[in-house]
Amino acid sequence: MSTQIKNHPLVNTTEPNLLEGTFKYSLPPLIKFDGPIVEYIDGKPVEFDTRSLLKRDIFITDTTFRDGQQARPPYSVEQMVKIYDMLSKLGGPNGVIRQTEFFLYTKNDREALDKCRDLGHKYPECTGWIRANKGDFRLVKEAGLKETGMLTSCSDFHIFQKLKFKDRKECIDAYCEVVEAAFEAGIRPRCHLEDITRSDIDGFVLPFVERLMKMSEQVPDGLKAKIRLCDTMGFGISYPGAELPRSIPKLIYKLNKECGVPGDRLEWHGHNDFHKVLINGATAWLYGCNALNATLFGIGERTGNPPLEGAIIEYISLKGDLNGIDTTMITAIAEYMQSIGVSIPENYPFVGKHFNTTRAGIHAGGLRQAEQIYNIFDTYKLLGRSPRVAITDKSGVDGISIWVNEYLGLKGENRISKIKVHRVAQWVMDQYEIEGRLSTMTDEELEAKVKEYMPDFCLKYNGSLKNLK
Amino acid sequence: MNIEEVNSRVKKVIAQVLEKNASDIGDNANFVTDLGASSIQSIRLVAGFEEEFNIEMDEDKSLQVQTVSGAVAFISSYLQAG
Repeated sequence: MSTQIKNHPLVNTTEPNLLEGTFKYSLPPLIKFDGPIVEYIDGKPVEFDTRSLLKRDIFITDTTFRDGQQARPPYSVEQMVKIYDMLSKLGGPNGVIRQTEFFLYTKNDREALDKCRDLGHKYPECTGWIRANKGDFRLVKEAGLKETGMLTSCSDFHIFQKLKFKDRKECIDAYCEVVEAAFEAGIRPRCHLEDITRSDIDGFVLPFVERLMKMSEQVPDGLKAKIRLCDTMGFGISYPGAELPRSIPKLIYKLNKECGVPGDRLEWHGHNDFHKVLINGATAWLYGCNALNATLFGIGERTGNPPLEGAIIEYISLKGDLNGIDTTMITAIAEYMQSIGVSIPENYPFVGKHFNTTRAGIHAGGLRQAEQIYNIFDTYKLLGRSPRVAITDKSGVDGISIWVNEYLGLKGENRISKIKVHRVAQWVMDQYEIEGRLSTMTDEELEAKVKEYMPDFCLKYNGSLKNLK
Repeated sequence: MNIEEVNSRVKKVIAQVLEKNASDIGDNANFVTDLGASSIQSIRLVAGFEEEFNIEMDEDKSLQVQTVSGAVAFISSYLQAG
């Protein structure tokens, strides 16, 4: 590609262009495309229409109780019911969180499933997860589930080295026998193509999926096999031009367009071994796969799965609409999960204690002048979390001023000037410069100093740490 | 209050906040480059002026004042208006 120097004259203005079409603040920033995406497949350019995302019924499926529980001690029945109930509220009445899957092997698993269904929620629909074993359909049948996931591993690492099949044909025959059993039991099989990003796509995956589609022609729509693309080791690549089997665009295209699996029967299940987990899932959405499988806070085997709350924000960013999602439930779920011992790092996006906390004084100065400068979106409206400042030696008077105003519950024009907080600010600076302190100020310490140095304001505005949520 | 008295009381506040002798503070001294005021000391100076003269000044405008004579003029404008 040759370099073509162009002139780019300054567009001078006295009115700021805040790009409000994309950065609405009342929503997460919108993801907009200015044309189709072109991917070369088998040497030929193929266009993917990005506008179709707005029309397609993309959705999230949850595996907090399956993959999520493989990475931690099991949840109690009561905890699962509470989490399920909150997932339902988060995903809303239109089923943005469409399904969630349950183990069926223990009494605890089945009791949790029954109690979740007793809540009567339409979404997320409860599905099962079993090994590729014909006998296990009895469990699915007894549980009264309409759909179950089943292991149909497809890399030769699994086929030969784990499952010890003699050859690929023996493997496919065995898998198809189980799929046939699912059809006979009146249960929709969701075939989990484990390790697909390390598989022989032309030599095994496509022939297997073709056979599944052929078998599905014989059954009603509600039973036709679904395909879950399991990026078991996180090898999937979102970049255009990447090779199979790691290319997510090519994998989706081949299954969707060459094998004829409709987008609503394709599901992406990723892992985070290479820090690509959420963008890989969203890439699957983009290229024609409708379901993104996720877990709350990404808790899953090893490095985890796509974080469900991240997928929710990505969904809104792509769709430009909440579609019934109650984003404030993200905060409620995080608080509940922490109350039962789940650890969430302080800098974890959207829910960590300090996800929207500013430390640097120069950033706090910006935040004090206009919240939007250093807050990603209206986190108070969408998550019930106002932007915060953490007070250290770098916070400056601006940071302390924000803290004091938040503590006093003052907004907009009612906020007091930073001149009024000078004694508290000086005390803070003395802690670091004279006393040699190295740690962040706690809210309790600051509250004590505000009460000491600004008693009239505390009395007038009834300052409280509860205001700092 | 005449301008000399304002000047004298302004220098008293500066001397307290910046720990200097009032007699060493020149009328045209710059708070930052000549008197070494840090950002927090600048805030404390404004707070000190407000207390000394019992006035409430615009935060942004008051922090833009850079010199002793500028502060005297700025404060005088509030005293005259009040």
